[in-house]
Amino acid sequence: MALQSLDPRVSRLGIAEDSLSHLVPKGDLDQFETYEAFVQVKENKPFEHAGPVHAPNEEMAFLFAKEQYSRRGMFCIALCVIKTENIRASHFTDNGQDVYDTLDATASGEETESFEIFHLMKRGKQHKYAGNVMARDYDDALVAAKSLYQSAKPVFNIWVVKSEDILATDEDDQDIWDTLKEKQYREAIAYKAQDKIKAFKEEQAAQA
Amino acid sequence: MNTEALKDLLYKIADDQLILGHRNSEWTGFGPLLEEDIAFSSMAQDKVGQSWQLYQMLTELGESDPDTVAFMRNADQFHNCQFVELPNGEYDFSLIRHFLFDTAELIRFTMLADSSYEPLAQLAKKIKGEIKYHKMHADIWIKQLGAATEESIERLQKSLDMAFPYALGIFEPSRMESEIISEGFFSGEEKLKTEWLSKISEILDQTSLTLPDASLQTPVYGGRYGTHTEHLQPLLDEMSEVFKMDPTADW
Repeated sequence: MALQSLDPRVSRLGIAEDSLSHLVPKGDLDQFETYEAFVQVKENKPFEHAGPVHAPNEEMAFLFAKEQYSRRGMFCIALCVIKTENIRASHFTDNGQDVYDTLDATASGEETESFEIFHLMKRGKQHKYAGNVMARDYDDALVAAKSLYQSAKPVFNIWVVKSEDILATDEDDQDIWDTLKEKQYREAIAYKAQDKIKAFKEEQAAQA
Repeated sequence: MNTEALKDLLYKIADDQLILGHRNSEWTGFGPLLEEDIAFSSMAQDKVGQSWQLYQMLTELGESDPDTVAFMRNADQFHNCQFVELPNGEYDFSLIRHFLFDTAELIRFTMLADSSYEPLAQLAKKIKGEIKYHKMHADIWIKQLGAATEESIERLQKSLDMAFPYALGIFEPSRMESEIISEGFFSGEEKLKTEWLSKISEILDQTSLTLPDASLQTPVYGGRYGTHTEHLQPLLDEMSEVFKMDPTADW
């Protein structure tokens, strides 16, 4: 007997009803690695963290990030993805304490590699791009960033990434963000359910 | 202007987008991983949106309104190629279809950007970005799985061999092919097919997959003029279920 569901697509699969009882349990941690997506919402605005995606490689992470974080009315003009394990995070501070003031190392000054710096300026908000530094390693990059990007506003957490670990939109592919505007059916806001429920209830009441 | 030739062209493109959009949307909730589920569903919505624009154009040329055209015709009144109505099968088949169809779609709309029918040229320019992303998505998947494991290569090759004669059916010439070309609406299926073969080879050459020899295949024609497989009518019945229950329903 094939499994019957209210979803006709499930019924069509013709799954034997008893086949669900002997599903083989999944192995541990069979997930893909995660990548962090960053979007630029407007020209002259910094890239900001949008969220994670799972993917088998960087290119696919870019594909998935584009669909997940630049749809549904969210304006986006550029996107980049960074493998989560390639992001080094500083520790967090609270109560208005600037994380830069808690660093005790000194910059070594041997500038060999390019790093990108992201700041968390408000707890609960996204990390935003602050700028680029040349440094010897991740810790060195933090110290270098202090001299360049510390301001009167406290920073609560810093992400440091090697520039080469970032996959960003190709200039030529800018047009992948052009999309038809007539897609109201995609936006939850277009479903004005309350009016319909009200009308339905009134109709029911009138019939009673 | 030869309106009949133009309508013939618009109908087949619109019906391809609608039927494949609907087919691909059937993956929603079933995708091989969450992120891909979202991406595939999103692209399906793009296709449905594009078909709406084309039906709108047909309405302006005197046809019924888009909803009526989309939901009230029977299978034998549809002009889509049979390729797009085939059931989804496993993900390997859906991916191969996505790759073969969307490559043709990108070339078609790039050609249509030069159409003498201005609204069509405008639309083609407007949706270029969406379609470019679709091909980017397909290419990356095919390159990934077409050179990954023995199983992934074997599955894709099997699907490719099965899909290929149907894919050639995309290029079934119109009964008014020469009028369509001479009016400058579109530069023709033959030209599209030639470019398509070179574009898909470009990607397949980077994988362990082999493109079947097009000259040894019999293209599956008939879809453009109402000959369909047994799979189309059930799709239409399901798609139009709500509309037929209450044609005034909206949101």
